[in-house]
Amino acid sequence: MIELTNVSKTFSSGIDALHNISLTIGKEEFVFLVGSSGAGKTTLLKMLYREDIPSSGKVVVDRVNVAELNPDQVPYLRRNIGVVFQDFKLLPKRTVYENVAFALRVTGAPRSTIRRKAMQALELVGMLRRVSSFPNELSGGEKQRVCIARAIVNNPPILLADEPTGNLDPTTSWDILQLLDKINKRNTTVVVATHNKSIVDEMKKRVIELDGGRLIRDQQLGMYNV
Amino acid sequence: MTMVAIVTITVSLTIFGFFLLSIINMGNIVGTFASRLDLVAYTSKDLSLEDAAAVQLKIGKLPGVEKVEFTSKTEAWKKFKGDFGSKLALEEIVHENPLPHTFAVRVRNPDMLPMVAKSISDLEVIDEVRYSGKLIDQMRSMVGAVRAAGIVLVVLLSLATLLIVVNTIRLTVIARETDIYIMKLVGATNTFVKWPFIIEGIMIGVIGGIASFIILKLFYDSVVMQISAALPFLPVVTDQRLLWFVYLVMTLTGIGLGMLGGYISVSRALKNEP
Repeated sequence: MIELTNVSKTFSSGIDALHNISLTIGKEEFVFLVGSSGAGKTTLLKMLYREDIPSSGKVVVDRVNVAELNPDQVPYLRRNIGVVFQDFKLLPKRTVYENVAFALRVTGAPRSTIRRKAMQALELVGMLRRVSSFPNELSGGEKQRVCIARAIVNNPPILLADEPTGNLDPTTSWDILQLLDKINKRNTTVVVATHNKSIVDEMKKRVIELDGGRLIRDQQLGMYNV
Repeated sequence: MTMVAIVTITVSLTIFGFFLLSIINMGNIVGTFASRLDLVAYTSKDLSLEDAAAVQLKIGKLPGVEKVEFTSKTEAWKKFKGDFGSKLALEEIVHENPLPHTFAVRVRNPDMLPMVAKSISDLEVIDEVRYSGKLIDQMRSMVGAVRAAGIVLVVLLSLATLLIVVNTIRLTVIARETDIYIMKLVGATNTFVKWPFIIEGIMIGVIGGIASFIILKLFYDSVVMQISAALPFLPVVTDQRLLWFVYLVMTLTGIGLGMLGGYISVSRALKNEP
């Protein structure tokens, strides 16, 4: 599903964000991407939804060579990859429903389809009762649920989460990860970048560790630290 | 901010339309006078119909003369009263027909005017010859100059207006930058993102176009009334079809400028891509 081959990224400032990373993530896998701040987790994720392109190497997502994509094609790539962020990135002036529905509107789906799918996604994440609320009326955990609903509403094969629990308390963090696990069990490949040690240790999923832009560990049933 | 753009477009379009109307009118005036008055020969002597016909023939034979028209003093007085009698209280001013017999002469070539004028005034029966060649030339070059200045002004105004519309919408775009970024993360195409802004530009153009049309129409109608009353012989353009054409051009220009402005500003904002 996701394949990186000798991927390196050097920023114009001279910083080596990623160095020769090669890895493969299969369909329906659940992977933790761990490492301290600045290790390159976010940069790596950005390669996958083409928020940035590698300086060298190949990035293939769902059989598509991402870096070689024509800019016009990028929206279609992104409709197949759900992304969840630490700072949520919800449209502040739209309701919960509108935020989730928007991800469907961009595809030009008919209104009835939009309604049905949006409600389904909101039900899955447990936010049906708050559909008319605005983001600023929600708690962190609720916001993240809405983000997750938006990310999966198009039924993408891949879900990326960049520090999804960074702004949340431990209990809520756990709930969110359980939700991501549930989504993974419904046949979605999930990649979570995090430095939430306790959750990684608890869940015993595959762990890929980055340090200074290099891949230093790739372990099934892994813990945060060796 | 949008109000500023709308006001700017309105002002620009009004000036544009004003210039258009002025130039049309000036062209019309020059054209009318030029064709009416290539040359006029007057005589206040009494002429019988045969005499007049003979003189007309003689003038017609002169080299350079293309056409001769004769208007008797009676006819002329009748026409004058018809044109202006309602606007001036003629009965109080004159009791006798003060007008002369008139031969209106069209020459083949404006350069021949002086020569033809001399030949005609040499005829005994003719009292006076008038031609306004020089005046016409002056008016023509004045119209040409005004037209040129007008074009320059309109072009500059259009650029300035475009700039303001672009900037206004750019402010909106910047204000919505986060929204646009999020939209693109979720898979919106550039076109999907652009449309609202282009439409905003069109709205600005439409409102500006209609506002300037209303202002100009009110202004023009009242000016036409006043000029017709004060200077009745001036052929002011009142052809409704022509006027509506001008208004249409103005409104469409407004919409075009607005749409272009919206498109430019949002395209620029979307250019900052990896």
